[in-house]
Amino acid sequence: MGILGLSKLVADIAPYAVKEGEIKNYFGRKIAIDASMCLYQFLIAVRSEGAQLTSVDGETTSHLMGTFYRTIRLIENGIKPVYVFDGKPPQMKSGELNKRKEKRDEAQKALDKATEAGDQADIDKFNRRLVKVTKQHAEDCKSLLTLMGVPFIEAPCEAEAQCAAMVKSGKVFGTATEDMDALTFGSSVLLRHMTFSEARKMPIQEFHLDKVLQGMDLTQKEFIDLCILLGCDYTDSIRGIGPKRAIDLIKQHKSIEEILKNIDTKKYVPPADWNFEGARQLFVEPEIMDPEKIDLKWSDPDEEGLVKYLCGDKQFNEERIRNGAKKLLKARGVTTQGRLDGFFTVLGTTPAKRKAENKKNTPNKRGKVGTGRGRGRAK
Amino acid sequence: MFEARLDSSVTLKKVLEAIKDLLNDASFDCSDTGIQLQAMDNSHVSLVSLTLKSDGFDKYRCDRNITMGMNLASMVKILKCANNDDTVTIKAQDDADTVTFMFESKKQDKISDYAMKLMNLDQEHLGIPDTDFSCVIRMPSIEFARICRDLAQFGESIGIACTKEGVKFSASGDIGSANVKIAQTSNFEKEEESVTIEMQEPVALTFACQYLNSFTKATPLSPQVQLSMSDNVPLVVEYTVPELGHIRYYLAPKIEEDEN
Repeated sequence: MGILGLSKLVADIAPYAVKEGEIKNYFGRKIAIDASMCLYQFLIAVRSEGAQLTSVDGETTSHLMGTFYRTIRLIENGIKPVYVFDGKPPQMKSGELNKRKEKRDEAQKALDKATEAGDQADIDKFNRRLVKVTKQHAEDCKSLLTLMGVPFIEAPCEAEAQCAAMVKSGKVFGTATEDMDALTFGSSVLLRHMTFSEARKMPIQEFHLDKVLQGMDLTQKEFIDLCILLGCDYTDSIRGIGPKRAIDLIKQHKSIEEILKNIDTKKYVPPADWNFEGARQLFVEPEIMDPEKIDLKWSDPDEEGLVKYLCGDKQFNEERIRNGAKKLLKARGVTTQGRLDGFFTVLGTTPAKRKAENKKNTPNKRGKVGTGRGRGRAK
Repeated sequence: MFEARLDSSVTLKKVLEAIKDLLNDASFDCSDTGIQLQAMDNSHVSLVSLTLKSDGFDKYRCDRNITMGMNLASMVKILKCANNDDTVTIKAQDDADTVTFMFESKKQDKISDYAMKLMNLDQEHLGIPDTDFSCVIRMPSIEFARICRDLAQFGESIGIACTKEGVKFSASGDIGSANVKIAQTSNFEKEEESVTIEMQEPVALTFACQYLNSFTKATPLSPQVQLSMSDNVPLVVEYTVPELGHIRYYLAPKIEEDEN
């Protein structure tokens, strides 16, 4: 999932690229939501007494619950969400997908063991690890979104790539996902924690790609190579090269080809048949739908339809659903507040004074020296 | 070295009162021409632009341009310690991380110093294009504040429609609707009580009450307020700061929901 350790690296090297804000500051924005990501969140998080919510027949409904309430929350805050669903996974992701399957199998075994032993905490833990977003979940969600009057898009391939293309073309303001690879795909704005529960009071994190690149002093191409080195979904990375070393190498050699020529490949063994070029290609030219052809339309919710769909078999409370539909309708009725940034151009941002940067750099440098020494001793 | 002195602290108090509702923190850009502040509120709906010219101060010195990031709530606390007729002097060293406010009583028998820590703030500079507004309305600031306060009881937004005959403010909500019409009047004896309208073409826009009511916190600064409007551009609400400059508020209009 995503790029290993990228968010931490960004926070260390380019802290100005990350802004934290409240959800209400995003009113009037159109935001593309990585649907698979948030379905997964819902399946894990929306539970009662450790078990997923189910319909009469035992079918899971956690994802519907999550989608319904959290979408209402976004819309009540004046946000216009667009859900983007994954299409077929790219060929190169099969390795990663296999790994995930293995992990699930392991979890299944562990779960069986735990069930035998009757260890409730472990049963819960492994149950959550078994969670998988199936086609059926996605289909359920699409039906629900249609009834709610919220648009969704089926990406031909990776949802993040499609979101990124829509951000780049200005169709939407940003991509809401937890996966950092939206940045690698070139999404100028990435929003994290957007679909989290309100109760968690998590501030929304806003990553700006241009500031990330500026702060790291990299081009988009170099950034993609950096992400591959850190570890992405499509191919393995070189063992023994961590975030710190990866960024130093990229800065020095500019590309993976050059790095391979220059490092001691005996010490740092690149994976066999390392197809980093293929991975890079996937990031640079992912398979997407032309964003210009996408027509986004928000419409009124279908209250009766929602009640029919969610209540009855799926055992949702009718009163709550009707309330939710009313909230959706109300949010559509009001005129939207315009934003000033639409009218005025940002001439440039002056980050906090240089002095602050120096102050922030010093502990970093100390950190570097510290780790250096640590490594030395370890040898 | 930066130093600016005002013979009475009351103006500074009023200026602060006028911006502290909208902004938590703000950067004051000081140069030899004066003090400038430009900042958007958190939700990027309104913008405050404050200009205090150097020649309006009783003493002003700024050797090097400096930007001072201040927490406005802290600044309010400090200014509460000053009497209205105290002389106030703002001082800072180049590259300082604190700013000092010095208050001297009229009789020179009491001098107090307050140092405040400065903050490092990210700042977004916005380019504000010069606009030829379709309508420019000048009216008594107290009247404007009154209308905004009254109409806020009816709904979240106020419609402002300007025609040759006058200006109509309107709001509607659960309890009903409200309309206030103001006609052009000229009062040569008391100029600050007159209403003047310069109009190229009629304009009607809708704005959020909440922000307008924050703007009217500047009412004590000036007897007149100037509203400038054009279709599809932000409203400008301007108050003069006597002798020193002006404070301008920009507010993005509410947009009618189109098909999408």
